[in-house]
Amino acid sequence: MEEMKIDLKKLVKRVGDTGDFIAFDESRCDGCGKCADVCSMGLWTVSEGKARLSKRYTELCLECAGCWEICVCEAIDFWYPKGGTGVVIEYG
Amino acid sequence: MEQYDVVVVGAGPGGAMAAKTAAEKGLKTVFFERGRKPGEKNSSGCGLGQRWWRDFPEIMERLPELPSYRKVEMVVINLVDENNRLRMRSGTTGSNLCANRWPHGMDGASVYRSCLDPFLAGLATDAGAELRTSTLVSDVIKENSRVTGVITGEGETIGAGVVIAADGAMSTMARKAGMRNRWGSGCTLTPQLDFGCDESKLDDVIGNAEWCWFGPFYGAYQVNFRDGFHIGTGRWLRKDWDTRPVDMIKRVMDIPAFQAMARAVDARPREYQAHLLPWMEKPAKSYTGGMMLVGDAAGFPCPLEGEGIWHACVSGKISAETAADALAKGDTSERALTEYERRWKASSLGLEHKFGRELVELWDNSIFDPELMKDQIQLLLEYSMLNPFSIVFDWGDAHLECFNQHLSHFLDLAPGFADFGSRYIKPFAKAVWPENVRRMLLMLKPRLPALRKLSDERYLWTLARASKALRPYIEQ
Repeated sequence: MEEMKIDLKKLVKRVGDTGDFIAFDESRCDGCGKCADVCSMGLWTVSEGKARLSKRYTELCLECAGCWEICVCEAIDFWYPKGGTGVVIEYG
Repeated sequence: MEQYDVVVVGAGPGGAMAAKTAAEKGLKTVFFERGRKPGEKNSSGCGLGQRWWRDFPEIMERLPELPSYRKVEMVVINLVDENNRLRMRSGTTGSNLCANRWPHGMDGASVYRSCLDPFLAGLATDAGAELRTSTLVSDVIKENSRVTGVITGEGETIGAGVVIAADGAMSTMARKAGMRNRWGSGCTLTPQLDFGCDESKLDDVIGNAEWCWFGPFYGAYQVNFRDGFHIGTGRWLRKDWDTRPVDMIKRVMDIPAFQAMARAVDARPREYQAHLLPWMEKPAKSYTGGMMLVGDAAGFPCPLEGEGIWHACVSGKISAETAADALAKGDTSERALTEYERRWKASSLGLEHKFGRELVELWDNSIFDPELMKDQIQLLLEYSMLNPFSIVFDWGDAHLECFNQHLSHFLDLAPGFADFGSRYIKPFAKAVWPENVRRMLLMLKPRLPALRKLSDERYLWTLARASKALRPYIEQ
């Protein structure tokens, strides 16, 4: 059904310049890939045994903190973007 | 440095109720919201249930004014098999017991957070609390292990008699105060897709109902609003996570019966959200020196089905009441704030979590266990045949022959669930009121010739001697 396509970029609104709000410590990462599984927006990938965060994450991240919560190595630090910026939810 | 009696972090329902209660008690109160307005960072199912009529009737009375409001009078379960075929659709409004319990009985409400949160925050500002939006609170100020204020993302310092942290599942305040970091276990991720619809078609096709989609996949809810609905589901963030959040939603959208409903109401995907939702056997530690945690920040959502807004409001209110008492006594130490835990544990919120472990384990091993659901569906369907309405439908033979065939099949399937029953249903036996058990046993008494001449008390004691399992109910 054409109308039922899910194009996530079109289904998320954002505002402002968030600045950085995710930090990754590669030395702690064991390449398990759970961050990649859990991210709705596909912002984490794994290659050569280590995770990598998209350089465009500030434009796409839903601020769900799923990657931070699931990383047992605690390689991912997450905090919220600057006040008044980031995801805008109208039908939550 | 500005100084307040109460600083609340987060202007969602928990924060708004805390701020409202604190302001009503005459405390100088400020509440902070990182979004441009309350609600813009939040999403929920979002169905508000019957407890609201008991605890916040003045709020429930006003909800029909909100743009996205839809009354909820019924829940409809859609049960789907592994071929995506709809096998059962069953709904209920609940009985007259429910309808007579409070003025509006079983009516629930659905409203978007973008309507609800500003409304609740408005009640707090009307009561005299100050609201500061677009302000991230990023750290605590501590003196001798007691939280004495907060620091904003812009570096502003705000002094507080008490801090109330209503900043959600990923609570910066809890982390910075050293109470915890990641949950580690007990937290779910809940993806949700909102669909825009034609309001009058939604009225005709669905009416005032909440739907669920259960089957051999992660069970999903469908909360219906004035002109839209949410499809949402969730799963615990554990080592066994092996799916993509969007795929969990797409799984429901693959169901032909879902597609038919969506066509009938002109549904179009409108917005996607994903959130952490603590779904805990028991809540986390909810207080430290100078600070209390409210709502999702403390892991309060319901251990059976993840509802959290009522829990946030109740704990918000209790935290502010505790804050007022602590400030009046001049003691906001961790020991003094133990009172907060005592109060929420004594409330309906605490009662909910008394069987938290059993409720979580049941859900985790049924609705959220796709493999198990493949078999459970057949048992549930056979059970659903054992009533007059279903026997009317099955006239493969004389109706009472059909009834016995279904009963035999149910008895064939049931032993296969003995293990499931003893692990996940039997633990609830201790939750049944002894008075209810005694009444059921006494109803049997006239049918037992050997025992019916005994007095009621003697009869019950005889059963208690014969069955160890019955003793706890009879000895009380």
